[in-house]
Amino acid sequence: MSALAEILFGGLFQGSLYAMMAVGLALVWTTIGVFNFSHGVFMMLGAYIAWQLVEFGLPAAVAFPIAVVVMAGVGWILQASVVRPLIGRPNIVLVVVITTLAAGSLIENGALTIWGPRSKQIPALIDGNATIGGVGVSLHQIAIIVITPLILAALWMFLNRTRLGLALRAVAQNEDASHLVGLNVTALYGLAFAIAASLAGLAGIFMGGYRFMSPVMGSDPLLKALIVVVFGGISSISGPIFAAYLIGFFEAACSYYFGLYWTPAMLFGVLILTLMVRPEGIFASRSRGLA
Amino acid sequence: MTDTTSPITQIRTAAATPIAPGRTPWKHEAVGFVLGFALLALLPLVFGDTYARHILIMAFIYAIVASNWDLSLGYGGVFNFGHLALFGIGVYAYSLLTKLAGFDPWIALLASGIIATLAAIVVTIPILRLKGIYIILVTFGFAQLVMQVILSQSDITGGTQGIVRIPGLYWFDHNMVRDAKFAYFYIALALLVASTLFLRVFVRSRAGASIVALRDNEEYAISRGVSIVRQRMLTLAASAFFTGIAGAFYAAYQRNASIDVFGMSLATIILSMVLLGGTSTIYGAVVASFVLTIFAEWMADFGAWRPIITAVLIIGVMLAYPSGLAGMIRSAWGAVAGRVKRPA
Repeated sequence: MSALAEILFGGLFQGSLYAMMAVGLALVWTTIGVFNFSHGVFMMLGAYIAWQLVEFGLPAAVAFPIAVVVMAGVGWILQASVVRPLIGRPNIVLVVVITTLAAGSLIENGALTIWGPRSKQIPALIDGNATIGGVGVSLHQIAIIVITPLILAALWMFLNRTRLGLALRAVAQNEDASHLVGLNVTALYGLAFAIAASLAGLAGIFMGGYRFMSPVMGSDPLLKALIVVVFGGISSISGPIFAAYLIGFFEAACSYYFGLYWTPAMLFGVLILTLMVRPEGIFASRSRGLA
Repeated sequence: MTDTTSPITQIRTAAATPIAPGRTPWKHEAVGFVLGFALLALLPLVFGDTYARHILIMAFIYAIVASNWDLSLGYGGVFNFGHLALFGIGVYAYSLLTKLAGFDPWIALLASGIIATLAAIVVTIPILRLKGIYIILVTFGFAQLVMQVILSQSDITGGTQGIVRIPGLYWFDHNMVRDAKFAYFYIALALLVASTLFLRVFVRSRAGASIVALRDNEEYAISRGVSIVRQRMLTLAASAFFTGIAGAFYAAYQRNASIDVFGMSLATIILSMVLLGGTSTIYGAVVASFVLTIFAEWMADFGAWRPIITAVLIIGVMLAYPSGLAGMIRSAWGAVAGRVKRPA
């Protein structure tokens, strides 16, 4: 019973964090058709900005939303500086990989220079602990498990029910037609990056609440988000969300039964196997489009 | 060149301008090749101190890795992000073969190249059906998988501790340690010459033309009888051999192996060498490796600012000249000669 509860809890918790990260990656991929390798750095930066605001004396309830908004701005700026000028170039996928990697290294080293290598921690969303089904958990983790689906549902509503969200999906489906009906495509590109960056920043704030932060804290979640996105199919928003929780459970079960050391190797083995059998991902339809 | 308006001149210069790689007459290229590397061979006469030679040796190793990456990434159009894993496999293959299995260093060096080639063939199998971004993800996954396996087998590979006191190379009775890296310099240079020669001959051959054809127009190339399975395997295998040997040489030279060779930072540096040099040139990657390695050393005083400056420069060059330094030189040359239009 306790084993099951532990796997269930661990899977839900990790899955929530992966889903927050992966959705941003998928959003940028579907709308712009590039892969953002500075996504992990967004996560780190969001956490550090929140830490800095809390350090300034702001209460967490004020500091966290401000950090998320600031991250949206950072995402927009990054898109405008290293992605937008390259749109239309023949080898854009490859060049954007290197420009976002370089931008990531820039931000990472910038954070290292500003905040130093010492690990930091930001306040938890809710303090305290609880015991559920024989497993001791912190209320912070419970809060993440509850809040993440709400945010993802809000994102889904935004993409499916609002004019702006529909415009974003229109760009994802057919860029030329979106131009023709008068959508501001460059602004929508910026919006996709801004949403992705703020989601990553929020994931960073969540993570900084229960684990020590460092300037390289984003690289491992980026890697996991990559797996999630490949696994769930890169061309949708719902696919990565399902895949995130599935991988969360898989990882929790693996580390419970086989130990932490073998988990990443097994995860990558499953990933490569999935791609050999179903290159478009297990939850994806064959077309490129959102939701 | 004042008579550029003359149609005859235009036709002649258009024919003499290399439009695609491989158009330069091979005799011209051979002369340039020999002159270029002869110049490099004279460098130890100028740089007598160990440290300068060490920088040059590292530049040679990076040049081998980057130029071989250019074969799969640039010519083949295969976004192989597991290239550094092949280098890492070379490092660990050499270390384990010499230290645990007691192989002769030179045989281990060769065997490392072969092992890296086999690994490349294995990683090609899952990507045969894939395109673009999916290849990036699978090969990235492959690199992580190799790293995880090495980490988890820590009783053999040393895990995060790495391997130390790896046997170095030897050259008859020559003392490899007290010659101010004289011997290692020439071994590294010889490997770079062999690798570059191999790559240039390969890309100028029919096989090279067929992989470029697959990159530029896959359907048409297949319809003309080019096998994507065979050519993709050939591309990755060919790009792996000298990469593995470079890894082995790196291990022999440094005399230790660490898991850092699989890290993102090394991959980013080597990738920026490939892209900064300009893809599908081979020479571009070699030159960019020298430029970046020496530049990084020159900036050593900047400390923490070094990676920041490097990142800004990479972004700047990529935004201004997406075809890299080769494109920059080409357009500068065009502006000077006033005969080649600046690429749009």
